[in-house]
Order: sequence, then C-alpha cells, then structure tokens
Amino acid sequence: MAYIRLIFSKIIKNIDITFFISLLYLLFIGFVAIYSASSNLDNPTKHITTQFIALSIGAAGMLFLAGFNYQYYKHFGKIIYILSCLLLISVLLFGTQHKGTKGWFDLPYFSFQPVEVTKIMLIIVLAAFIDKHWNEISKLSIFVKTLCITLGHFILIMLQPDFSSTLSYFPVTLVLLYVAGARLTHIFAVVLYGSLAVLIPLLVTFFKLQPKLLESSKVLTFFVTAPSNWHNAAIILGSIILIIFLIKWFLSKLRISISWAYPIIFLAIVLAGSFSSIVVNKSLKEYQRKRLIVFLKPEIDSRGAGYNIIQSKITIGSGKFSGKKFFKGTQTQLGFLPEQRTDFVFSVIGEEGGYFLAQLTILFYFLFIWRALVVAKQARDRFGSLVAMGIATMFAFYAIINLGMVMGLMPVTGLPLLLLSYGGSSMLSSMFAIGILISIHIRRFY
Amino acid sequence: MSWSTDNRFAYNLFVEKHKVILIILIFCFAVLSMKLFYMQIIKGNYYKKISEQQRINTAHERAFRGLIYDTNEKILVNNVTNYVALFYPFEQQYEPTEESIEKLSKILQKDIKPYIEKSWRYGRVIKLAENLTINEVFKIQENKLFLPGITVVKEPKRICHDSIENAHIIGYVNELRAEEIDNIDNTELKVGDIIGRCGIEQSYDKYLRGKDGGFSFEVNARGKHQKTFDYESPIIGNSLYLTIDTELQKTAYQALKNSSSGKGAAVAIDVKTGAIKAFVSCPSYDLNKVSSAKDYKRYLRNKNLPFFNRCIQALYPPGSTFKIVTFIAALEHLHFDPYTIENCTGKFELGDRFYVCSSRAGHKKLNLISAMAYSCNVYFYILGLDLGVRVIDAYAKMFRLGEKTGIDISSEKKGFVPTPEWKKAKMKMPWLKGDTVILSIGQGALWVTPLQMANLMATVANKGVSYKPYLVEEIKDSNTKETVYKHEPAENEKIELEPYTWKQLHKALKAAVEYGTAKRTKFKTMTVAAKTGTAENPQGDDHAWVVAYAPADNPKLALAVIVENGGYGGSVSVPVAREIFKKYFNINEEYDEDFINGIKNGIH
Repeated sequence: MAYIRLIFSKIIKNIDITFFISLLYLLFIGFVAIYSASSNLDNPTKHITTQFIALSIGAAGMLFLAGFNYQYYKHFGKIIYILSCLLLISVLLFGTQHKGTKGWFDLPYFSFQPVEVTKIMLIIVLAAFIDKHWNEISKLSIFVKTLCITLGHFILIMLQPDFSSTLSYFPVTLVLLYVAGARLTHIFAVVLYGSLAVLIPLLVTFFKLQPKLLESSKVLTFFVTAPSNWHNAAIILGSIILIIFLIKWFLSKLRISISWAYPIIFLAIVLAGSFSSIVVNKSLKEYQRKRLIVFLKPEIDSRGAGYNIIQSKITIGSGKFSGKKFFKGTQTQLGFLPEQRTDFVFSVIGEEGGYFLAQLTILFYFLFIWRALVVAKQARDRFGSLVAMGIATMFAFYAIINLGMVMGLMPVTGLPLLLLSYGGSSMLSSMFAIGILISIHIRRFY
Repeated sequence: MSWSTDNRFAYNLFVEKHKVILIILIFCFAVLSMKLFYMQIIKGNYYKKISEQQRINTAHERAFRGLIYDTNEKILVNNVTNYVALFYPFEQQYEPTEESIEKLSKILQKDIKPYIEKSWRYGRVIKLAENLTINEVFKIQENKLFLPGITVVKEPKRICHDSIENAHIIGYVNELRAEEIDNIDNTELKVGDIIGRCGIEQSYDKYLRGKDGGFSFEVNARGKHQKTFDYESPIIGNSLYLTIDTELQKTAYQALKNSSSGKGAAVAIDVKTGAIKAFVSCPSYDLNKVSSAKDYKRYLRNKNLPFFNRCIQALYPPGSTFKIVTFIAALEHLHFDPYTIENCTGKFELGDRFYVCSSRAGHKKLNLISAMAYSCNVYFYILGLDLGVRVIDAYAKMFRLGEKTGIDISSEKKGFVPTPEWKKAKMKMPWLKGDTVILSIGQGALWVTPLQMANLMATVANKGVSYKPYLVEEIKDSNTKETVYKHEPAENEKIELEPYTWKQLHKALKAAVEYGTAKRTKFKTMTVAAKTGTAENPQGDDHAWVVAYAPADNPKLALAVIVENGGYGGSVSVPVAREIFKKYFNINEEYDEDFINGIKNGIH
C-alpha cells in the first residue's frame, strides 16, 4: 500500500496537466461516441461496458508500469524480444481466427490480440538496441540490424496475416533511427524501396478501376500493363537506367564527379523495389489493394471499396457546425456509416458532435502527442528519450492515418483511433504505453 | 544528471531531429484540421443534402399530365394507367441480383439488362420494365420471393387519339434522362420525370405537367423502412383547348396521303384571328408508338422523314405562288397597269439564255390578270426585270418571308430571301439579271415554309391585316375548370397598300380559280381565290403548291398546301385544297368536270 501511495504522490507531484486533460477528454469523447453508436442495438451498454472493463484493467496496468522503473527494460532487450516473438509464434499455433486473421487468444469473457502488446515491446527492444549502439548508428551494419529486428516481428505478423497491425512498425523504426542519428541516405533508400514496392501494385489497381481513363491514354495503359508485361517493364527500367547515366554524364561535364556507387545503389534499390512489388501484389488480396488506393477517387468504386470513404465523408460533412446531437445522427443511427464503433468512430463525433467537438478532438489529440514528445525531450537518459519517442510516434501515426482515412485523405487501412475506438486489446496496450510514458516522465529529474 | 547535461553534443543533435518530427506532426494535424473545416463548414450543406437524399426515399405517385382537346372539345390526348416494374435498393444492394434479372427477363420474355444499365443511378430506384400486361403483373407478384427488391407500381401513360394526324401538333413526351438534368434550369424536375419533347407537349409543358404526389419514408442503410412521412396526392396538369379541328385535320391528312407522292404539308389558318385550323405534315408517325425503341428507330430510318414537321421545318422554293408578291410590287411600285397586254411566246430571252414559260407553246397575248390566272412566267419575267431585286426583296420581306411567324411550337424555320450581298458573300459572284428573273417567279435561293405561305395568303385575304398564328386557344384548370390562359389575337403590323392593288389582286386570284390553273377548287356555292405553283426542285421532281382563301368575298379560311415532288400544282395540290374547303365549309358538292371547265356557264 505504501508503495502505491508513493507512486501516486510521485505521479501527482510530477503530473503534466495538459497531458492528463487531453487523455481524459479523448477517453470521454470516445465513450460517448461508442455509446451513441450502439444505442440502436439490442444491448446498447454491451460495448461500453467491455470498453470500460478494458480501460480499468489498462489503468491498473498503467499505474503499475508508471511505478516500475523503465530503466530496467534496457538490460533485458534481448529477453523482451524473444518473449514477444514467442507470443507471436504461440498465437500462430494456438490462436483463433477472427475475420481471416489468426491473431487472437480467446479467453473467457474476452479475446486478446497479442500483436497489440508486442508492438510496445518492440519499441522497447528497438530503443534498447539503438541505445546500445548509439555511437555506431551511422554504420550500415547497425542500420540493417535494426531493420532486421523489426522484420522478425513483421514476418511473424504477416503470417497471421494482419497487414494493418504491421503498418506502425515502419514509421516507429525509421523515426527512432532518424533521431538516433542514422544516415539520411540509408533512411531514404529504405523509404524509396518501400514506396516502390507498395505504390506500384496500388497504382496499377487504381488505374485498372478506371477503364475509361485507360482507353483514352495509351501512355497510361503502357505503364499500367508494365508489371504483367515483361516487354514494357524492360523498356521502363531501361529508360530509367539511361536517364541516370545521362544525368551522371551531364554532371561530369559540369565537373561534378560522383562515385559510381550512388547510381548503382540507386538502380539496385529501384530494381529491388520493383521486384518486391510483385511479392506485395501477391500478398495483398484484390479487395485490400482496392481499399488502399481508392481514397484518391472513391467514386470509381462507389459500391465497393469506395463505399466506406464516401459514407464517412458524408457523415462528417453533414454534421456541419453544430452537429446533429448525440443519438440523433442519421448517418450513424440508420447504419449508413460502416464500422462506426471502431475505425470510423471519429465520424460519429463529426456528425453528432459537429465541427466544434470534432476540432476539439483533433486539437486534444495533438496536445496529447505533443506532450508525449516533450516527455521524450525531457527524459533522463537516451533510452527513455527513445522509448518515449517510439510511443509518441506510434500514437501520432495511428491518429494521422485514422483521421486521414475517415476524412478521405488516407487509404482505408483499418487502423483504429487509439484511445477512442472500441477494442479491448488496443485500449489495454494504449494504457500500458501511457504507463511507460509516465514512468519516464516522473523519473526525469533523478 | 540527465543525458542533456552528460552528453550535450548528442543531446543537441537529438533535439534538432526532435524538432523536425514535431514540425511534421504540426503540419499533419494542421492539414487534418483544414480538411475538417472544409468538409463541415464549407461543404457542410452539400454533404447534408446527400445524407438527406440517401435517408429519405420517396415513393412518387406521378401526376397525370393535363388533357388536350380540339376546338370542338373532342379529346385529343388523355392518360391511361400503365404498370411498371421497379427495383428499390435494399441492404446495400444497388441493383437486382443476376438471378432476379434472369427470372424477370423470362417472365417478360425479353432481356431487361440493357434497360437496367441505362437507368441505373447510385442508390436510386431503377425502372426495369414498363407497359406490363395484367398477366405479367400477376406473374411478378407470384414470383416475388425470387425477385428481391422488385415491385410493380402504376404510372400514367399518355394516349393520343387520331395519333397519326395530330402527331406533329401534339408532339411526344418521354423521361428526363440523367445526363440532361444539369442543363435544365427548372430545379423541380428530377430524373425520370416525363417532359414534352416537341410540339404542344413541349411548348406548354409547364401547364400540362401536374404536381407529383406520393409519400416519403425514411430508410436505413439496408433500405428498411424506419418511418413514413405525410402522403400528398398528385395534382393533374391543366387542360389545353386547341384551335385545331380534328375532322379537318383527318381530311387534310387523307388528301395529302392520297396525293401523287404522299408527302407534303397543309396549313389552314382562320383569317380573322390567326387560329390554325389544320396543320398537317405527311407522312407522319404514330404518337402512341414512339415510346417503343423499335418503332422509334423504324421511324428514324424511314426515308420519307416522318418526324420532320414539314409545316414549319421544311423549306421549299415558293414557285409561282410568289407571283402574288411580284404582282403587288408591280402595281404599288411601278403603278403598273394590270391591263397592259404582253405577248408570251413560251420563252424569254435574256443575254444568251432562255427562260421558259409554264406553257411551252406560250400563252399568246394576255394581260396581268390572266397572266396570274394561267401563271404565265414570261409576263412576270418582264415585270421582275422592271422591278429589280431590291424592290422584290422589299415586298417579300413586307409579307414576312424570311422571318418566323411566331407560332407557339418550337423549331420553326425562318426561311430565306436572297439579296445581292448574300450572293456575293456566299458564291463570290455578283447578282445577275437572270437571278432577278427567276426570283420574280419564286425560284432561286428563296426559301419559305408552308406556314409562312398560309400566313401570307391570310394577309392577302384580309387586305394587309394579319395575326400571329397559334394553336392553343385556352388553358383551363382541370379540376376547377377556371381559365388559366386565354389567347388574344396578336395582330401583326398592317401592310398598307392602295385599295386598287388589293382589288386587282383579288380579281386575279379569283380568275385563277374561275378559269385558270386552280380551277379544280371551284365550287358552285362558294367562290375561292387561289394561286398555284410548281416549284422547280434541283434535287428531284417539282413541288406542287397551292395557296388559297375562301370565301373570296368574305374570307374566313386561308391555306397553303404543298405536295413534295408532287408535280404540277394545279392538278396535285389544288384537289387537296378543295377537300379542306369542302370539309371546313361543309360543302356537299361532287366534282363536276364540265362545271370546272366552265362549259355550262359558257365562259371561255
């Protein structure tokens, strides 16, 4: 008891008032939106009760983690990594399948998604590794090793397969490497490789959805058929090579000499990205590819992949300034808005709460992440800074992708809005992450 | 203590990068906020409208269009009930399933797939088939289980009586298409509404169209009923009373159809008001059949152009009927003595060219009156040369050739009166005397519509007074029978001529019937004044014209008849005019060859 009292008094003494007010607001508005969106169900309090239980457990865990000195984690990086991998492997072996993803443990009363916890464990592992190799971070070998740590998790999760849960891994890893001082060329190479691998199949899918556009433009047809037509692909790659050599030749005329390594590495990345795109194309299902790219122009598939985005935009927009009041939103209550308690919970706030509450939600989310970044800046040691940075990045990435998705700016990835969306596991892990943040924050002076 | 002091250098580097991350974060959230502001504040009303549209489904009950009557209050157009199969979207299913399409196609024994593709719109009701028979309606009801979302509703359908003869006056109606809606100012119209496409149905559309009723109901995303709002009963459109006499219309159509080529137009105008009594374009189409795509295409492919309204859309050279204008110009402008004798040898020499007369042998010696009666070209060639193109043009324009008559249906052509400037600009050639010569007998680039010629004849009959021709006499509210609109005769500016000119002209026109080219329309009980024309047509056989009015002493009805490629005006068009007069004035008189040729009267 005495220990708990000590932790409490420590937390209260060192409390970051902005951080806590933001957190309370986000949790509150999330509960209101979920409750409003379930008011038409047979059991309107079911979701909110589950969510509340998850929040309570999460809050307890948060207090525990806040009291626990985060610095211990640093020495157990390897063990945590092995533990997290074992967790992911065991879910592959013993887990149950929900919506085609084998990523759940069905426990009595609730089911649990290990990937939600392992994503935080990975942040700690990465932070520990980078902290250890801080001085050699600009070396390619360390850079690659860091990526391999992430890749291990990534592969295990893709075996479930749970595409959307892996998404936050890339920004978290890259941001941690970036703030630790990794070379920008390395980061750029990874980004280029990743975007080529993902964008090629997505853009091809996007243009194939618009047969009229393809008919009118032969150039476009040429590019779109390239991945399935070796002849076209060879022409495109050939012309890229030619352009690179022309640039190099031109620069040499200007007496600027560049090592041959750069164009060759660049080419290698382009080639690797293009070939990986074939793998990505195969690993994503047709509907997933459509969903990921259709946000650019939802009308082209208004009855299929574009339906969610169109309805979400209508839902938010129709709220106008004052909103339709909770429990009275036509889009939400009549069921036009899909996934209204999970991925599209923000649309409910937009429709029923109106512009004021929706903007307030965005503002408080920003303040929340900003304070998390401040925790990173004020941390006592490098490891603390890195962990806080990773957690802040994760929250920011989820928020930007989710808010962008519901407003039609980002692809439909199925990422929830952490702290607001309905979902026990993500609520738990969010609260744990906040616990770690608090642990870092209250120990900043000693 | 903390690493910010232990390792200042590394910490500063970290803080710099931390700043970059923070800036990226601020940027992303600013973009998100702006997008939110744009969607909710700037485009809020737009999204609100869409959300209402998909929430509220309306079961329209289509209003009946107003009825159309002829001048004797005989019904020309009314409505019958038509059964239509509709698909209502449900459970995020926005088109009928493959099985139900197949099933319905089997019941109706035709492929309905193209129909669906044509009328599909996001989240809206789709029309699958119309004109269902009672049998088909029952079959659909029986198979309701296999046809999810498909229902049969009643819809009014337009039925026209004497639908072939009246087709060009009434015009057809059809549904407003999705691609047209943006080009229409009327915001009350919606896709699928019935609108008039031509004729009276088009120009009086806003009177004829009623107000749709029905009830609206709220649906959820699965298309399930949530609650129903008030029912509003549809209101029938106003009734139209036309100037047209259906019996006369039928007579005229029959006469044209039985003429030599079976193609042509006849327009009859009440001289005292401008009311159009007959308005026939032949061949015509069956108004009740154009709604079927098959018949529509068949009509469209027909070489005789049944959709072409020859009364106002066809341009013909007026031929000798134009001699009326030359006649007036000569008397007014030259103070020409109509009893001047000229010798017609059957041809007229100008420079190195010959212009022939209607009679190859020549009319020998005649004055202007008999030149009109026999339609002697040579006499008018001489007059034309004396008058010159400017004067002839001026008189043609005075009689409103080259301008629209202003009839109350659309797509009227205005015709053309050639000028030397036009010829210079168009053909890069100066106006020659030869052009004036042929202009004086209504040839060359002179183009008129049958309606213009009928109107010209009404003006002549009325000694310069004329009215804007019109088809709709009165519009009444269908329920209360109150008059909504009543036509007031719109008098055109009077053409002032010397009384002597009118007297001589009327004399000449009577002479044409008495012993001249138009004698086939001579009656024992009524005198008729007329002028025939045989317009040369570079594309084919001559067009046969006649313009006339009757009774000659107290004109009531003026008309113009043209039989396209008909041949000689006097023998082809004049009998049509005779039938129209017989019907209109109720004359029961057999065609008497001896009387026509004046043998009994001893004249000639």
